[in-house]
This record gives sequence, C-alpha cells and structure tokens, in this order.
Amino acid sequence: MDKLIDIACRAVADYGFRQTVLYGSADIARRWELSEEEAALLAGPVLAELSALPVPVQPTDIPAEQVRVSEVIRGLSAC
Amino acid sequence: MTGRLQDKVAIVTGGASGIGRAICQRFGREGAKVVVADRNIAGAEETLTLMGANPDDASMVDVNISDYHQVERMVNEAVTRFGRLDILINGAAILIRTPPLVDVDEVLWDLTMETNVKGVFLCCKYAIPAMTANGGGSIVNISSMSGVRGVGYSLPYAVSKAGVIHLTTVAASQYTSLGVRINCIAPGGVDTPQMRGSTASAEAFAGRNEGHPMGRVGNADEIANLVLWLASDEASYVSGSTYIIDGGAWAQAQ
Repeated sequence: MDKLIDIACRAVADYGFRQTVLYGSADIARRWELSEEEAALLAGPVLAELSALPVPVQPTDIPAEQVRVSEVIRGLSAC
Repeated sequence: MTGRLQDKVAIVTGGASGIGRAICQRFGREGAKVVVADRNIAGAEETLTLMGANPDDASMVDVNISDYHQVERMVNEAVTRFGRLDILINGAAILIRTPPLVDVDEVLWDLTMETNVKGVFLCCKYAIPAMTANGGGSIVNISSMSGVRGVGYSLPYAVSKAGVIHLTTVAASQYTSLGVRINCIAPGGVDTPQMRGSTASAEAFAGRNEGHPMGRVGNADEIANLVLWLASDEASYVSGSTYIIDGGAWAQAQ
C-alpha cells in the first residue's frame, strides 16, 4: 500500500496533482504500477477521501491530513 | 456586440472550469456552437448549465487529450454533431508543483508533458484536417507566463508551456497558408479554481494581488475576451503570434 499512500499524500499537499488523480485515476494507477487491489481502492474510497478535502489544504494542516488519509488507506487494505 | 462567432463550431478543451469555462460561456453568447471537452464530467455538465444552451448549440465530451483515440473521437463527434469545425481552443492542462530539477520525479515530468504538450499536439493533429476540409479555421493555444519567463515551483509545467508557444509558431508556419490561423496566449496570474487551489492559502492568494501593477490578478472573463478576438474573423490577419495577458506584470518586471 506504500504507493497508494504516496499518491494520496501528494494529492493532499498539491491541488494540481489531486485534480490529476481525481480525473485520471486509471492513468495514475498505471503509471505508479499499482496492483489491481490498489487501483480499485484508489478509484473508490481513496478518491472519495480526496474529493472531500478542502481546496487547498492549508499548509499547517497538510501533515495531519496526510497522516489521516494514510491511516484510512491502511484500514482499507486491512479489510 | 454579439454574434461574433455566429454559427461557428468550437471545441474548448479544459472547458469544465476556470478560463476554459469562461471561454465556453463567452463563445456561446457570441453565437458559437460549443463542444465542452474535459475529463471532469461534472464540471463540464455545470458549464453547459451555466451556458444555458440547448442541445442543438452545445455538447460535452469526456476526453483524455493525451490519448489519440479519444482526441480523434472528440473531433469526429464535433463534426458529426455540428457539421464542421471552425475553432479549437487548447485549454486543458495540469499544473503539478515539483521540487528543483534534480528531485523532479520522472513520472510527474511525463504526466505534465503528455497532457500539456502532447495533448495540444494531438488536438491540433486531428482538428486541422477537419478545419482545412471546410476552408480553414482558428486555433488558440493557452500557454502561460510560466512558459515565457519560467517559474521555480514547477519545472515541468514551465517547460511544457514554453513548448506550447513553440508548437504554435511552428504549426502556424505550416498551416496558415491552408487557412488555419494558430495563435497562443500566455496569461499571468488569473483568479481560477486552479490558481486558488495551487496557492498555499487565502492570505497568500491575496498577496498575489498586492504585488501586481493593477493591484489584482486577472479574471477568466478577461482572458476569454482575448481568446474570443483571436478565434473570431476580427483577427483574420493574425497567426503565429503569442499574446501576453498579465495586466502589465511582465513589463513591470523588466
């Protein structure tokens, strides 16, 4: 899940990258060589998390948001 | 004045928000039939709603402009639906912030180049034959001041936008004689969702206004005005040019 977490954390910190993920998750999954399971998580619950983020995430909030989203992803992968 | 694009058929990539949306709305008011092209389908639908256009005058298409199959389909659908293609606005682009060159991830370089440069190339590649088949047309590529002066926060973006300027020059040298005018604009700071989202905070955004010779960044409608003129027959003797539109910021910096 490290690649998926990397993608999500980048998307938290950078709005432009977040948009690229939101509107091209299949392309991102291919470029990051995600597994089928990871790609499905990205296209589903992870996109939902990213869609709900504020625009932009305030700089002071970025570390905490990255931790939170990372934990969400770890929780999903444990299911 | 209205009707400056009466019955012209236009494709606007990146039409789901910001400058692209403003162009769609302005073109619609000027009588054009508009194809709103974007990967952001919800945004494209919202643009159509804001345009208030009926299905005979506007449509939308989900397109990844770095995929030639999808670009070819986009152009074919526009011609099939509206009978011709007169105008292409290449507005779709991505802006991903990166560290300095040595630390730029190759995947981010590729992502940016494939959308911002290859995407413009492909859209021109498939639009130009559709235009020449009907006597000609007008293409306006949306570059950026980043492509003129460079910016430190994203090397790939700056290089890609410089590429769009050169693509414009070379393509104009090849197709102006066939009736296709190809021009480019290089906006400076513009108040768009993209810019607001890419600016660290609301306070930082306000700070961008303060350093500007006009005391503010531009708005999307002001950019759309220039694009409208370039797309219209009023610019019939203009091709191969790049227009800076930044409220005097570049001039002040010299």
